Amino acid sequence: MSANPDNDKTGMRKLNEANLTSLYEEYYDKIARYVYTHIGDGSEAEDIAGEVFLKALESLKSYTERGIPMQAWLFRIAHNLMVDYLRKAVKRKTVSIDTVEIAGDADPATIVEKNMELERLTKAMDQLTQQQREVLRLRFFGELTSKETGSVLKKSDGAVREMQRAALEKLRNLLIVEQ
Amino acid sequence: MANEFDRILDECIDRINRGERLEDCLASYPEHAKKLEPLLQAMFDTQTAYTFTPSSAAKMAARQHFNIALEELVRRREERRSLFSWVLGWSRAWVAVAAVLLVALIGYFGLRPMLFPIGPSVQPSPEGNFVFLISDDVNAIGDFQNLNISISKIGLQAEGEDGQWIEFSPEVEIVDLTLLQGDKAQEIWRGDVPEGRYTKVFIYVSNVSGILEETGRSISVKLPSNKLQISKPFSVKSGSVVNFVYDVTVIEAGRSGQYIIKPQVGESGADRSFEKIDGED
Repeated sequence: MSANPDNDKTGMRKLNEANLTSLYEEYYDKIARYVYTHIGDGSEAEDIAGEVFLKALESLKSYTERGIPMQAWLFRIAHNLMVDYLRKAVKRKTVSIDTVEIAGDADPATIVEKNMELERLTKAMDQLTQQQREVLRLRFFGELTSKETGSVLKKSDGAVREMQRAALEKLRNLLIVEQ
Repeated sequence: MANEFDRILDECIDRINRGERLEDCLASYPEHAKKLEPLLQAMFDTQTAYTFTPSSAAKMAARQHFNIALEELVRRREERRSLFSWVLGWSRAWVAVAAVLLVALIGYFGLRPMLFPIGPSVQPSPEGNFVFLISDDVNAIGDFQNLNISISKIGLQAEGEDGQWIEFSPEVEIVDLTLLQGDKAQEIWRGDVPEGRYTKVFIYVSNVSGILEETGRSISVKLPSNKLQISKPFSVKSGSVVNFVYDVTVIEAGRSGQYIIKPQVGESGADRSFEKIDGED
């Protein structure tokens, strides 16, 4: 450690900036997918994913590695931004499934089939607890480890593993019934 | 025992996230395969249903904003350091005053103005160079007594990978598609947009409501998304007015009794002939 604490703080901040920058390529997509599973709008999910990194940059001086890895911290930010978005969009029509750029030869039957499958999954997911849903989203779409997921949700990784197993068992049974 | 299975399931999920096949995970734990397989299949079903790949254009645009914000942050930090070093040579009182001023300046100029720069603002104008119209390509529209769509926003993207988006609110927000069949089109916005080439257009549909002709019953009509975007290039030049027709169609989804609206790229564009109507019965 240097004798000058200001140099240490600046050094730490530069390191955090470099870490955040290096996470962008991999985690932008994961965050966008994670947000998409919540709000069902691809375009808005892309916007929120971009906003996560800007917000992280603004809040970087308050971030420390202690307790939560940076990639998990990004998902906490994503979750908060998403809650804000949903609160503001509560009166908006919620039937949207995906922002699909319709090409001239897009098959509407395929779109409807995809939408129906998504509705089936969404209906089953809705019957899980909120924590179970969040575990599955962070593990399957955020691709976080169970330890990182625990950091986001403030749970032990053992609790996350147990929730994830229970959620999958319930989801599996619900999907069988639906079929 | 349960903990051990949880650990194995967790490991398999990590392996699948890293790109390994389900079969390889099951082969690692044959004694648990019967229990593992349906759970991992549920994972696949979930990932497949929610498949979404962010567009590279959106990712690149967001990366640009991030880079700009980072550069600005570094620049200000360097300025603060050099300013602070200079001020440290002063007496204590002047140092306190300078610190307060600096905080006020940073707070005032902030990072916010750099976030998501919006394109030039556009205003409606009766003498505008751009007219936006809605039309309906005939499919299942005959099943409806009326079919109202509410459009809350229109967007145009300029040419280029990082082309700027211009967004504006329509002057006419609700149109009845049953009145706009075939070549009939209704103007919902007229104004000035910057000259240049555009490649993408979207409308943001906030609501759809229809009444069936046969039963008089109201029915919910599905959308692929609230934001219906098409790629259709056109140019806006000085001395001329561009009439862009955005065509949609409503179709019945199989025999489900459900209907879906989708944009018709082939029938949309700045080169469509149309019969302009005012949307009144």
